[in-house]
Amino acid sequence: MLHTRVDKGVAPIIYLEGEVDLDCIETLRWVVSDAVRGSDQAVLDFAGVRFIDSSGAGIFVRLCLDLRAQGIQLKARNLSPAVDDVFGMLKVRELVGEGAFIEPQPQN
Amino acid sequence: MMPEASPTPATLQVYRYDASADVLRMIVGDLSTPIPPTDLVERAREAMRLRSFVCHTVTDYHDVLGDEVCFIPRGDHCDIVSIHTNGWRRHHGDHRRSLLDILNDLAAAVARGRLHFLDDNEVEAERSAGKELLAYAITDSTSLAAARYAVDLVLKNLKLSDDSRERVILSVSEATTNMLVHGGGGGMMALRALDDRLRVVVTDAGSGLNFFNWIEAPKSSAVSMGYGYKIILENLEQVYLHTGTKGTTLILDRTFDERPDNHVAH
Repeated sequence: MLHTRVDKGVAPIIYLEGEVDLDCIETLRWVVSDAVRGSDQAVLDFAGVRFIDSSGAGIFVRLCLDLRAQGIQLKARNLSPAVDDVFGMLKVRELVGEGAFIEPQPQN
Repeated sequence: MMPEASPTPATLQVYRYDASADVLRMIVGDLSTPIPPTDLVERAREAMRLRSFVCHTVTDYHDVLGDEVCFIPRGDHCDIVSIHTNGWRRHHGDHRRSLLDILNDLAAAVARGRLHFLDDNEVEAERSAGKELLAYAITDSTSLAAARYAVDLVLKNLKLSDDSRERVILSVSEATTNMLVHGGGGGMMALRALDDRLRVVVTDAGSGLNFFNWIEAPKSSAVSMGYGYKIILENLEQVYLHTGTKGTTLILDRTFDERPDNHVAH
């Protein structure tokens, strides 16, 4: 099951927690569409995602490209190991571009 | 470019040439062969003589048509995989994988000996081999997560590494999702233990695996983009596929990291 929390602001941040699969893609689409209303950018935070499959990766790609066509930048950050693994297998960065990812800041 | 209204954006056909009986049989698809049957047999014999995978590819000037006929010798027979895209290509704004990429992945997996097509007799034997550990009905998208939890519980009692367990669970999710979206809306997923490997058997009673649904624009609920099989083929050692008008069976094998003590199959 996927839980979402939205921090509203100039660039809304949508925190995802749980599992991203076929069952939650309509929910995720609705949450993101609602969150970006009135904004030209938003962030999906994947730190709490324990599981994702190609359906989950697919909805991120679809949202990213569809919103970009509307002038809205959707970016991903804090990829959990499960997300990073599947995104790597599916070459998601090549599909949506490196600009769709917020890289972690190096630790001192 | 192919007409948009074409009813057959792609076809996958698999034949088997049995050298001992000198017979060419259909395994997947219809009886129409991509080239005359006598030519198929001749090339199958050549591949068997060479003991080598042979693939004939035809593309047109725009690299739109992507027809391939692959010959895979296997002991006393030769499997023949024919993929034909009919020139289908994605519409603008369609983010799914290229159909040609998907079919090429399948052909490459066959060439590497990772993907095997089964006939009616073979699938009956393979899906009942070993000892059943779990049987789970997949009825809708809410059952996907429940099935993963059930698989996870079983796998934690087996000697699979965390990495193997995660790869099996991911592949189960892909296979069961494919079954929901493309396999008639549901079916059964079973876990079985063989002597040296874990086996996942996913069976539906749909109208068979084909690529006809690829001509449809992606629906809101279908965003797998064609990557499910890529994940399965990358994460499991052996994949067996049987498909026809009465349904599809997908068998996924992952070798045990260590031989388990408590579930040796008979």
